Amino acid sequence: MKLRMQITKDRDIRFISHLEYVRTIERAIRRAKLPAAYSEGFNPHLKFSLASALGVGVVSYTEFVEIELAEPVEIEAAARALDKALPRGIRVLAADAVANNTAALMAEAAGASYVVTLPYDKDISEAVANYNDAVELLFKKAAPKRKEKFKEIDVKFYIPEIAVELKDGKTIFSFECKITPTGSMKAVDLLNALNEAYALELPIEMADIERHTLYKFTKRGKKVPMLNKDAVKLQ
Amino acid sequence: MEKELTIDILSSVQKPARYTGGEFGSIIKPAEEVEATIALAFPDVYEVGMSYLGFKILYHLLNKTAGVQAERVYAPWIDMEAKMRERNIPLRTLETEKTLAECDIVGFTLQYELSYTNILNMLDLGNVPVLSADRKDNDPFVIVGGPCVYNPEPLADFFDFAIIGEGEEIMIEVMEAYKAWKKAGKVGGRVGFLNEVVKIQGIYVPSFYETIYNEDGSVAEVKVINEAAPAAVEKRVIKDMNTVDFPDAPIVPFNDIVHDRIMLEVFRGCTRGCRFCHAGMVYRPIRERKPEVLKELARKLVDNTGYNEMSLVSLSSADYSCLAPLVHDLIAEFKDERVSVSLPSLRIDSFSVDIAKEVQAVRKSGLTFAPEAGSQKMRDVINKGVTEEDLMNAVAAAFKSGWNSVKLYFMIGLPFETDEDILAIADLAKKVQYKYYEITGKRGCKVTVSASSFVPKPYTAFQWFAQNDIETLRRKQFLLKDALKVKNITFQYHDAKTSIVEAIFARGDRRLGKVLLTAWQKGARFDGWSDCFSYDRWLESMAECGLDRDFYAARTRGENEVFPWEHVQPAVSRKFLWREWEKAQAQELTHDCRRSTCTGCGVCQKLGVEIIDYKRGEA
Repeated sequence: MKLRMQITKDRDIRFISHLEYVRTIERAIRRAKLPAAYSEGFNPHLKFSLASALGVGVVSYTEFVEIELAEPVEIEAAARALDKALPRGIRVLAADAVANNTAALMAEAAGASYVVTLPYDKDISEAVANYNDAVELLFKKAAPKRKEKFKEIDVKFYIPEIAVELKDGKTIFSFECKITPTGSMKAVDLLNALNEAYALELPIEMADIERHTLYKFTKRGKKVPMLNKDAVKLQ
Repeated sequence: MEKELTIDILSSVQKPARYTGGEFGSIIKPAEEVEATIALAFPDVYEVGMSYLGFKILYHLLNKTAGVQAERVYAPWIDMEAKMRERNIPLRTLETEKTLAECDIVGFTLQYELSYTNILNMLDLGNVPVLSADRKDNDPFVIVGGPCVYNPEPLADFFDFAIIGEGEEIMIEVMEAYKAWKKAGKVGGRVGFLNEVVKIQGIYVPSFYETIYNEDGSVAEVKVINEAAPAAVEKRVIKDMNTVDFPDAPIVPFNDIVHDRIMLEVFRGCTRGCRFCHAGMVYRPIRERKPEVLKELARKLVDNTGYNEMSLVSLSSADYSCLAPLVHDLIAEFKDERVSVSLPSLRIDSFSVDIAKEVQAVRKSGLTFAPEAGSQKMRDVINKGVTEEDLMNAVAAAFKSGWNSVKLYFMIGLPFETDEDILAIADLAKKVQYKYYEITGKRGCKVTVSASSFVPKPYTAFQWFAQNDIETLRRKQFLLKDALKVKNITFQYHDAKTSIVEAIFARGDRRLGKVLLTAWQKGARFDGWSDCFSYDRWLESMAECGLDRDFYAARTRGENEVFPWEHVQPAVSRKFLWREWEKAQAQELTHDCRRSTCTGCGVCQKLGVEIIDYKRGEA
């Protein structure tokens, strides 16, 4: 069976990299003594995967780990064992199980919702209205691992609509971002695109980015949670 | 932390996880339970500091002590330091985010002379006055320990007291004394506590001593100026490694640290008696742990950390008396959990290769040997006790077992070394390569030759030796480089300048404190990192303080010269070291006392300890 769990990346460890996050979960699986399956070969590795890579500095309440097991376990007990074996800053929120031949969780993710808070108190509602009305917004994002190389994306394709509110001197954005089989875009690039397209001066370096939910679509296009309805909730 | 180290700062520096803590196994006690806080301060970056076993041990032991909170702090890398200085952000501990000024004790480990400027920099960033004379009653006590503590004199102006020797017992005694002094209302102020703590054996308070110099700059005498202080401070040792506590749940970092695996300490000390080796002298005698104790520890460590790699550490792990059965048992025990076992270094013999073969059952890597010198003459000078035949047998065994690359470690600039001895290194490397051809009938064996420049250290047989000057070291490097222009041989060496500065401080005296301060004020820190090191800055600072590089590094000391460090004692007798120095000149060997007769270094007798080796008497 495959054990799937919704886990967090809390504020206090937001600056660990994706690779560090992955390694931390692997060690926690070993500490929790979950009967994980291993690959064959000289350097056997534990068979587990994460649903999506999160940028360094991004807080998330909706990461997913999928662990292939060598023998079945009781879901709630396993989830509690893993929760106990994780460092402060990563919590297990819910868990379910599926058959080993179920498609990888990663392939199912269709979108994520974000809240981004900026220490910025100017009114940007006009720019936001323009954005929401626009048909497309092209933005040249830096291509990973290639200095001076850019890839043009349509921000509107990934993020059709944004909501913004000004509260206690802070600008708070809420939006949903599509995830497709060929990729997605970073929340921070929305801010870059807004600054560029509407001549705003959002202090992007101070952006406090949180991923709140990750979801998939049913065949009819209905948004549903990543885990099954009967998933065990831990907290 | 987030309030000061804001999102924009942490997003802009390399490896931000260095600064945010929260790792599995890190300990934060409820504030009301804490009577005294000690910061274990490592004067280098997180990945280096987190790999240090000594602090893993102390963190665990101190936090087990009631009322004591031990925390960690590392040197911020230059990118982070720039941000901190720009915004006036102090250096804080990772656990409860105290500035160093808010701790009761700040304890630095002295691992390497070129990290000394980082100590000054960290104190300054932590709002603690850099000079101990400037510290007031509410400032923390700055203490030092670790291998370089056997000559702490260049740092005498900066620390309040030093821990000499192994820390497991003495650190608890110091914390108990501190809690009592604090509870009683800090009687007598700072000096009041120093007068108390100096009663503990192994505590050195530099302000209780005065160094008097001869006209030629050498030391005339180190005078005790506070009657509470002993004439010489002898190191502390743990008599029985089986009963002393060892951390079984160390912190598991997020970052990829330098030694990111379980470290199982199999024994302490090494008595092979290599004459250049500082560790071999100051960590005597040999004290092994029982295999049963090690196996029990290994089980707990695997369960508590989730690591899938375990290294059997000590100064020379292949010398462990029960190594083969231990390795065998550990591999069997952890096979299903996919935990691999490794040795940090190999002895030059086929036994080591057999062990290496066994540990490779799970994972494969290259083999490294350390002949240290190229010619038999030089290996006899340094008392390496290894012949060319030994090396050929070892590499032959390795090649037969399927390895096709080896790394060989050497030193250049050793006493009595000639150009022929340097060229012998190249010959040896080529012979190793040819051995591969002899055994496999194939060419293409990769040999990496690494040569470091020798730095004479205090409390070794070579403490009297004048280090080769920079021109000589460079010439020898080029001589070897030219001789090693052979296909599939790689030659690695370091800039000799860092070795010169290391040598100045290794055998330095208190006057060098001014040089440290000056160099730090001129921007020196992370001197162990080649991109931060400036030789000219050090020479300038020496000149400004009226001190001479060659006096410290490149001067032969006389038989009876008083050394600046002799009141801090690892208990190895000076007579023994001089005898070893004379035997080096005569190319005479001294045997290992581990399983044989006493060679008279004096440590066991002086400290009332015994060699613990489970094959003692069998050799």
